[in-house]
Parts: sequence; C-alpha cells; structure tokens
Amino acid sequence: MSYQITSASLGLLIAGVILWLIRRDHLHSRHALWWLSVAISALVLGIFPTTIDQLAPWFGVSYPPTLLMILGMAMILIKVLLIDIHQSALERKTRRLAQKIALLEEAQSHQVHKEENP
Amino acid sequence: MTIEIHSLVILIPAKNEEQTIERVIMEIRQLFTPVPVVVIDDASTDRTAELAKMAGAVVLPLPFSLGAWGAIQTGLRYALQQGFHTAITMDADGQHEADSIPDLLYPIAIGQADVVIGAYPQRGSLLRKIAWSVFRQLSGLALEDLTSGLRAYHRPAIELLASHQATLLDYQDLGVLILLQKHGLRIEEVPTLMYPRRNGHSRIFSSWRIVSYYMIQTGIFCLAHHGPRNPPSCPIK
Repeated sequence: MSYQITSASLGLLIAGVILWLIRRDHLHSRHALWWLSVAISALVLGIFPTTIDQLAPWFGVSYPPTLLMILGMAMILIKVLLIDIHQSALERKTRRLAQKIALLEEAQSHQVHKEENP
Repeated sequence: MTIEIHSLVILIPAKNEEQTIERVIMEIRQLFTPVPVVVIDDASTDRTAELAKMAGAVVLPLPFSLGAWGAIQTGLRYALQQGFHTAITMDADGQHEADSIPDLLYPIAIGQADVVIGAYPQRGSLLRKIAWSVFRQLSGLALEDLTSGLRAYHRPAIELLASHQATLLDYQDLGVLILLQKHGLRIEEVPTLMYPRRNGHSRIFSSWRIVSYYMIQTGIFCLAHHGPRNPPSCPIK
C-alpha cells in the first residue's frame, strides 16, 4: 500500500472531524477559522504529501519531514499561548462577575429588609 | 484636611472565621460605632456570614471563593459604589487591633499618603525575612512589611484597585503595592502591634508547596513589572 493512501486518509479524517465539529456548533465561530485552515492543511498535505518536499528547500531545510514537525509544533505553541491568554481574560471576567453577584445580593437583601420593615 | 467618619468603611475578608469574626466586628464597633463594617464572605462553609450579620456587619457573599485579594477587591468595589472615600482592610482572624485604625488614617488625613500600611515587620521566621528582602530588591519597594493585611486606602487607590487591571492579583501584597507604585500613588507605613493569630494560619504560609508556588509566582511578577521606578517615597516613620 502506498504511503500516500495512509496520509490521504489521515488528512481526510482530520478535516472531516473538524468540519463536523464546526457544523455541529461544537466550536465557537471565532475558533472555526483557525480549525478550518488546519483542516485544509491536513487535506492538502495528506493528499499531496510531496508538497512538503517542495517547500523545504525554500526554507533551507535539507530533510523535509523536519519542516513539517517544526511548523506543526510552532502552530501548537501559538494555539496554546492563545488559549492561555483567552483563559486569563475569562478568569478576570469570572472573578468580576462573582464580585458583582456579591454586591447585588447584598443590595437585594437590603431591599427585602426595607420592604419588610418600612 | 480631615477624614469624615461617614466617608470611612472597614473591609474584612473572611473565609471560615466563625471563631473570631464576631469579636473582631464587636471590637471595631465599640470604638467606631458609626463606621460601617463590611465582611466579604469568601464562600465560607461555616457560620461566618451569619455571625457577621448578627454582629452588625454588612455581608457581601461571594458565590465561590476568590481568595484573599478577590474578596478585598469585592469590598473595594463596594466602597467605590457606595461613595466611601477611605477604606480600611483588616484580617478576620483577630491579628489586627482596632485601636491602630486612627494611626492608619493620619497620613491620609494630612494628605501625605494614598495608602497606609500597618506594618509589623518583626514577625516571621528568618527564612521569610530573607525572602522579603529579595522581593524588596526585585520590586524596588522601600517598604518593610509587604504582606500586612492592615491597610488604609484613600479614594485614588480604591479606584485603581477596584479596576479590571487589579482583578487577576491573588494576594493583598506585592502585586498590589507594585501596581500602586507604578501609578504614582504614595504608600506609607506606620508601625503597629499585631497579635498572634487567634485562629487559623497565614493563607500564604500554610504549606511548603504553596510557599514555593507563591515565591516563584511573586518573583516572576516582580521581574515582569520591573520598570522605571519612582523615587523612593515611602520612608518609615
């Protein structure tokens, strides 16, 4: 069996899962663009694995698979960093929300107390 | 300039402090009857909130625990919302004496400081002292007591500390002080007496794992915020 069949089926599988997740609304639309490009890259590189051999000399990489590894890891690193940035923003919002709830709850109990003892 | 008593609020963050909270509130109310005492209940699982309310405090109940600083910031947001001009923060474990409040207010009243720290630098082990001197070097803060929970904040400091940019801090310590210093607010220390904790323990110094984590986190924070320093403006009186 040619290695091209293996890589093509892997590419199709990855792209298929991502597209299915986007269609099923499991990925927020702002993440969809990123994942759509991942799906397309997986498809292209899977069906035409020689693309990477053609790209490697441009970057002065003599052993093409290394380029694939490095690009892949760079993408993962960027994505993980973005996740942590987003996570910090969410943490900030969650904390402020909890504080707001405490303030509102106090104001409300004050209101109830006033209504009970006018 | 004087501080009007009705523009003053006392903030006490509390998490599972049912043994001490009542006494702490009573002591304050005996000395400063008209001053509102606000207890920020950091999702206690005991009767802290109930006892605080019975003792006459306003209780701000957090839906889940935000940690020491998250609770204090809730109080500062309350102070801002209600239009208070000066906020005092105290620990709920009975470490701080209500008597020292006037000492804290004096530098603010005479317009000399925006933040006053009730300092008790004698406390702590040798290891702790070494750690603090390292952090002093890293942060460029000319203060003795970097972690004291007994502090007075004037309006400009309350506004800054209630804002979004102070929300991701975890303790009322270096992070807060560095932020204040960066914004050119004047920090002053006054010496105070502190009791050993009547109950409980330091939230920071509770286990080696937490201490190490805290030290690393604080060290990184100091380095990250290492920038042009304001001339030292906080001599100890």
